[in-house]
Amino acid sequence: MSLVKMPSQRPKAVRRGLRVNAEGFALEANRGRSCEVSDLKYVGKGVSRSDGVDKVSGVARYTHDLIVPGMLHAAVVTSPHASARIVRIKTDAAAAVPGVRAILTGDGLCYRLGLYMQDKCILAREVVRYQGEAVVAVAADTVDVARAACRLIDVEYETIDATLDPRDAMQSGAHLVHPDLGLYEHMQGVFFPKPGTNIAHHQKIRKGAFDAAFRAADVALTASFYNPPVQHVPLETHAAIAQVLPGDRVEIWTSSQSPYTVRHLMSAAFGLPHANIRVHVPYVGGGFGGKAGLGLEPLAYVLSRAAGGRPVKVVATREEEFNTLASRQGLHSTIEIGCTSGGKIEALKSTYIWDAGAYADYGVNIGRAAAYSGAGPYEIANCWIDSFVVYTNKVFGTAYRGFGHLEVLWGVERAMDMVARKLEMDPAAFRRLNLLKEGDTTITGEPFTSGHGSPIGCLDAAAQAIDWETPSEKPAEPHKIRGKGIAMLHKAPAMPTYTSCAVVIKLDEDGAADILVSGVDYGQGTYTVLRQIAAEELKIPIEHAHVTWECDTAFSPYDWQTVASRFAYMGGNAVIEAAADCLRQIREVAAQALEASPEEIVCEDAAAFVRGKPETGIPYRELALGYTFPNGNSIGGPVIGHGRFIATGLTHLDQETGQGLPAQYWTYGAHAVEVEVDTETGEIEILKIATAIDAGKVLNPKLVVGQVVGGVIQGLGSALWEGFRFDENGRFLNPSFVDYKIPTAKDLPLEMEQIFLENPQPGGPYGARGVAEHPMISVPSAIGNALFDALGIEFTTLPLSYETILLKTLEAHAEKE
Amino acid sequence: MHTISFRVNGELQTVSVPATATVLELLRERLHLTGTKEGCGIGECGACTILLDGAPVTACLVLAVEIDGASIETIEGETEDGQLSGLQQAFIDAGAIQCGFCTPGMIMSARGLLRKNPDPSDEEIREAIAGNLCRCTGYESILSAVRLASERRKGDSS
Amino acid sequence: MLGDFEYVRARTIRDACELLKDGGGEAVAYAGGTDLLVEIRNGLRAPKLLVDIKEIESLRRIDLGDESSPIALGAAVPLNRIAEDESLRGRIAALTEAALTIATYQLRNRATIGGNLCNASPASDSIPPLLVAGAVLRIEGPDGGREVALRDFCTGVKRTCLECGEILVGIRIPPLATGTRTAFLKQQRIRGHDLAVVNVAGALSPSDGTLRIAIGSCGPTPILLDPIKTGADTAEAITKEAVRDAQAAASPISDVRASAEYRRAVLPVLVRRMIARLLDETGGV
Repeated sequence: MSLVKMPSQRPKAVRRGLRVNAEGFALEANRGRSCEVSDLKYVGKGVSRSDGVDKVSGVARYTHDLIVPGMLHAAVVTSPHASARIVRIKTDAAAAVPGVRAILTGDGLCYRLGLYMQDKCILAREVVRYQGEAVVAVAADTVDVARAACRLIDVEYETIDATLDPRDAMQSGAHLVHPDLGLYEHMQGVFFPKPGTNIAHHQKIRKGAFDAAFRAADVALTASFYNPPVQHVPLETHAAIAQVLPGDRVEIWTSSQSPYTVRHLMSAAFGLPHANIRVHVPYVGGGFGGKAGLGLEPLAYVLSRAAGGRPVKVVATREEEFNTLASRQGLHSTIEIGCTSGGKIEALKSTYIWDAGAYADYGVNIGRAAAYSGAGPYEIANCWIDSFVVYTNKVFGTAYRGFGHLEVLWGVERAMDMVARKLEMDPAAFRRLNLLKEGDTTITGEPFTSGHGSPIGCLDAAAQAIDWETPSEKPAEPHKIRGKGIAMLHKAPAMPTYTSCAVVIKLDEDGAADILVSGVDYGQGTYTVLRQIAAEELKIPIEHAHVTWECDTAFSPYDWQTVASRFAYMGGNAVIEAAADCLRQIREVAAQALEASPEEIVCEDAAAFVRGKPETGIPYRELALGYTFPNGNSIGGPVIGHGRFIATGLTHLDQETGQGLPAQYWTYGAHAVEVEVDTETGEIEILKIATAIDAGKVLNPKLVVGQVVGGVIQGLGSALWEGFRFDENGRFLNPSFVDYKIPTAKDLPLEMEQIFLENPQPGGPYGARGVAEHPMISVPSAIGNALFDALGIEFTTLPLSYETILLKTLEAHAEKE
Repeated sequence: MHTISFRVNGELQTVSVPATATVLELLRERLHLTGTKEGCGIGECGACTILLDGAPVTACLVLAVEIDGASIETIEGETEDGQLSGLQQAFIDAGAIQCGFCTPGMIMSARGLLRKNPDPSDEEIREAIAGNLCRCTGYESILSAVRLASERRKGDSS
Repeated sequence: MLGDFEYVRARTIRDACELLKDGGGEAVAYAGGTDLLVEIRNGLRAPKLLVDIKEIESLRRIDLGDESSPIALGAAVPLNRIAEDESLRGRIAALTEAALTIATYQLRNRATIGGNLCNASPASDSIPPLLVAGAVLRIEGPDGGREVALRDFCTGVKRTCLECGEILVGIRIPPLATGTRTAFLKQQRIRGHDLAVVNVAGALSPSDGTLRIAIGSCGPTPILLDPIKTGADTAEAITKEAVRDAQAAASPISDVRASAEYRRAVLPVLVRRMIARLLDETGGV
């Protein structure tokens, strides 16, 4: 069955975003281009989110807000050292505090946890591997008692060598963060740790013959770049409640992006059958990848077990969110590019050294995904990539929106500009020459087709939006200067080859539909999109399509994790299938009631009727629980449809060459930006940022604009202000909003524009592809490129703080004199 | 322990609190008004913004003992008789909500502004919510929502 | 719950002083609490008694009188009241401008001018404008009151000359010479709320030919430079002298917020721009 609603051979109409009226309908038609007339009622419209009412009235309950009767509260003692042996832990004084119900150290918790690599402990065992690592946990009647008890716990450490820079960590003789790496379980055939080293994973791409092609190149460039670690900063910090129940069962409530992955990893770690673990996910206050995989659930579980089955709630303070919980890995990259004098890239080699921090249970996959995407959206005949995920004695990394792509494309997209300059080519023209086109092959050997969308279309749209051809004007103030920059972005969902999603739709007595999913809507708006699709497919009013907000593994059907920009795609397809299943059941029963064959039954406006005879229509509410004839005979039964989607055709990557098919679909885009710099203070203002993404199909313009604006501002944070700071001993220096700055309402670009191309994605629901992560990717790259245009200075390190901009400007002037 | 009497969303409450309790704890844990959120505990993120005698403040840095005799407004008071206020509706219509965790604080800051200044400039709206961090929306839709609320109010009164 | 303390409301200044004196070093004055409560939460301070002074009416007054009167600010006046008082802006714009850059709107409804002074951060934004205005602080103790020039008040990083039992009750700004213009500039890391990386305040009095400048976040305390005689000098000469004085007085450090190098680079820029603004407003020297 074809899931593509509007297949097309040619680029579709370009829709400019942001200008919508209160009902979410676009205020202006696309100017000057032909539009396909849409006969869709809900899909493609700016339907308002369904959870808006709960959220604006304060009734939406997040894990932070939940109370389970008898609940205890937890607090932790964290390590002051980056690397040390735990000599002795004295808990007697703490245990004597009234109200303390359980105290745990790593000693009794010999579990290794992790999604892709099982290297993580619940509490530090024998050694601490980063400053901030949780060492002791206390459960008590109140959080104040738990914290008071923690203050009475005495931990004796013996500091040992620490390794803080991943480049040092890769040298032989470096202190090993995980001497037992060889014993850790990991996803076989996908990840390749190197025991006896700090290398958790090494991903290789070997396409063609790099060395020869690089030597033969007319123009060559080598450049190095750096991204510091940063944090997701969800407004709701991590929180979990666990209650151990008799019979080896546990019930969990958690602020998570992945209830089923929590369940699965808990099952693997603690040896409990899946059915014995019940995971609830209520409203979630932001995730951005940081709440994928396991978070505080294992700790809550073992505390509850230690407290005789009392429920235990663990909530991270903001400082713990920064200093103890997952971050985005730092990255050192070196890029070598060789081109013909005509500007064609012949050879590209990247070396990525990921600063995984103390644990790489999730981080190894970022190293993998970044490698197979690691050359940008370009046709490159000879491409070698080495992506090393390296342990250091710092807080560990995990998935974060973009999954390595913002970090990698900081280097790649900056290098593209640098090499364009060497060639004396316009950076946009250089990219146009090299971007993937139909007939090209990606660096993993995947053929590029029109179904991938149009990177060139995105480049052109973004460039046009900032009037790329016209150089920036000189501002009136003599100390200010402007520049323009462009950067490409691309990403495919980085997920296992078996990733799947299931949806159940059950009809209510009145014919309305309840949609059960366990993908999580933590702000992106996917639930609203699924309602739109369900209403469209079931032929019911959108007000009658409901998504049950809380996920509960007891009865919400399976979804892998809400990451990777895959939920609208996979969930959307599953909803389409589930709706079709419902309609099949409806038609079968209506056929009997109307004495026709099911093929003659049409469903429209929440009723089923014989084709051509709408007056025969039986409303869904008379079919939703079966149908009763006038004489009392009943047929059919409750209408419950199910649908599912599993990633299709994906393969593992060859260990030596990285060739294979890792991507269900690719989404391409571009940012174009104009900046203004105060050359005396280093302050930078974003005059305009235009973002073009080939969405395949815009399912909801209001929500997708929200995703793009939000993602661009989050990317701006990485670009200009965010980065972890450590002292020479690996101590975290800025674990609070006082010194870790994220954008506020005063930090916005003067103008933002969003442009959506709609070249349909084969296999996508209505031709849509995922766009959730993409807006954040390459925002720093575009700004870095614009800074060269403005200042003639190559910035290679993030963040592009005012200080960095000013000091490098002064340095450049000094060199000139 | 200190006995305090105060109004929350118009309702009189009398409770006994230790000196060390914050208004945020009082609201969330004693009165079970969990609409007001904790985002940082040090006044930097604005998630716990409430109105104290009409002034937006961060509840994490106000001691409960101080509000004896005072009037507190929280997000729960914004809805009246089950009806969303114009400001709440504007947030929905402008698409100004994603994860929703910053939303109560944003609305309270906006409510404080609009009461004092029913026709604020863009600059004034920005200043009023600059102390409310949001990680999801990028703020543009929130600025639009407050603008929309004030425009609609103007429309109503004319 | 934050820490472990008791709370009492002082009805009068005398009460407050007695309570503080009786508490030894373990009782503290409590106004806005935006610095104190955070320090208690983070374990940096552990007082046993908070003496709330916000009910003392005289501490909450702003008295402007007329142009020839001193300005009297009660120590417990919240910063938003300072920021939003248009008459005060007309008299000492630098203080208004500085107040608007402190923290967030919500925090300014609680944080007080006196609290900002007593916190004595090297990066305080309210201290430089008050320094150039020659502010004098009124301090009350159990044995009576005294006045201290603001420039003698801060003795080190977050340290003041307040003795046990004393509280700051008011700030007196002597009438500024006719035609005096003031200005304040602050360099932050981000446009959203932030501490100062460097800040400067200036007061230019054409009638008595003096330029007063104070710089912040360039030393353990904000620094009042020696007054510069403007006389018949050109703007360029005045600026050059001011920059030289500022640079000589500054000893910035590198910390998590900024490097000493950046602070040294930005300081002269802020001084120059501030003087340009002052000269603009007075139509030249």
